[in-house]
Amino acid sequence: MAKEISGYLKLQVKGGQANPSPPVGPALGSKGLNIMEFCKQFNARTQDKMGQVLPVLVTIYSDKSFDFVVKTPPAAVMLLEAAKLKSGSAEPNRKKVGAVSWDQVKEIAEVKMPDLNAFEVASAMRMVAGTARSMGITVSGKAPWEE
Amino acid sequence: MEYLEFKITCSPSYREILIAEMAGIGFDSFLETEAGIDAYILPEELDRKDWEALIARYKEAAAVQVSEGVLPKVNWNEAWEKHYDPIAVADQVYVRATFHPSKAASFVHEIIINPKMSFGTGHHATTFLMLSWQLSLDHRHKKVMDAGSGTGILAIMAKKLGAKFVTAFDIDDWSVENGNENFEINGLVGTIMQKGTVRSVSKEKNYDLILANINKNVLLDELPTYAGDLSAGGLLVLSGFYEKDIPEIRKAAEEQGLEYRDKKCSKQWAAVLFSRTH
Repeated sequence: MAKEISGYLKLQVKGGQANPSPPVGPALGSKGLNIMEFCKQFNARTQDKMGQVLPVLVTIYSDKSFDFVVKTPPAAVMLLEAAKLKSGSAEPNRKKVGAVSWDQVKEIAEVKMPDLNAFEVASAMRMVAGTARSMGITVSGKAPWEE
Repeated sequence: MEYLEFKITCSPSYREILIAEMAGIGFDSFLETEAGIDAYILPEELDRKDWEALIARYKEAAAVQVSEGVLPKVNWNEAWEKHYDPIAVADQVYVRATFHPSKAASFVHEIIINPKMSFGTGHHATTFLMLSWQLSLDHRHKKVMDAGSGTGILAIMAKKLGAKFVTAFDIDDWSVENGNENFEINGLVGTIMQKGTVRSVSKEKNYDLILANINKNVLLDELPTYAGDLSAGGLLVLSGFYEKDIPEIRKAAEEQGLEYRDKKCSKQWAAVLFSRTH
């Protein structure tokens, strides 16, 4: 019989670096989960993504056990890395702080596909490009569908 | 010790952007809430100028509102620790908390662990596998190192199995305090949990047995030091990684002149035994 789900938690944690400090500690601990068990599992599973911010969805069961799914890094994180930037623009519409190519947008879109509500890479690319615009990052050149 | 707490409300489409930017100025984990993000940081790790510049940058576009508070450092794992079940390893070791009744009469060894937000109660497969390895290795009159001790459970096991002395250490403040408490509860005289890594703590040379249940990256990084600290014929038991990671760990160990001996696995986790042949 499937276990009864008592709730979910959405965290974003750097790969390989989960520790019981907040928010991980209080969020899991207040539900009676074993924080140390979560940290050990999360860190082991994300050793190849050290230091990268990773969304993680924790499913909590009524018997205080849990499962979790590690998702792909946020598009915003990958865009900053791709554009070699530390931060986005204060005025994204007027002041551009960097640029990425459509090839880079495609690469990010392909990584993000499993977590995006998109059936085609082109739709995922539009979403990623939208995030870039909100951060003042230009996507240089013509979009593949404009050529 | 206290954490600064930032409860941030923002437009949903900006949540990921804010997280990406906050990760760049020292925040390492976030809780997504209905309204936005909860984030925490130690006061000494926050650069106020960077933080204020970040919020100013997105205040208008993302409709950002921030409420700042302070969260004292407490044992957030207390709820689980209050109710954890004791475990038995190979019918020889019984690991329990002080609030569980003793079963010393039914087991060869009894270990008492009050974990207090430290890792190592025997519930996790890696701790269980390490204890299982220890039961099959001769500890009598041996010099043992327990790297990344957590609760100190493996160091306590080593002493109970007859180790002459044990060097134990961890980088985490909670573990150091908790490990020393557990050493005292279990009657370990002269064993002290130090704070630090295998490269920074005060230690002996020529260990007969080194135990390290940490994680793959730390083990790969510290393997040369473990190999250098082992006596000829000394044994090294590593855990904290998955079965699929064994080839990578094995290759790194063999590059340090260590010989692969055997493995124990459970629930995809592994604990591997190496020896130094010369």
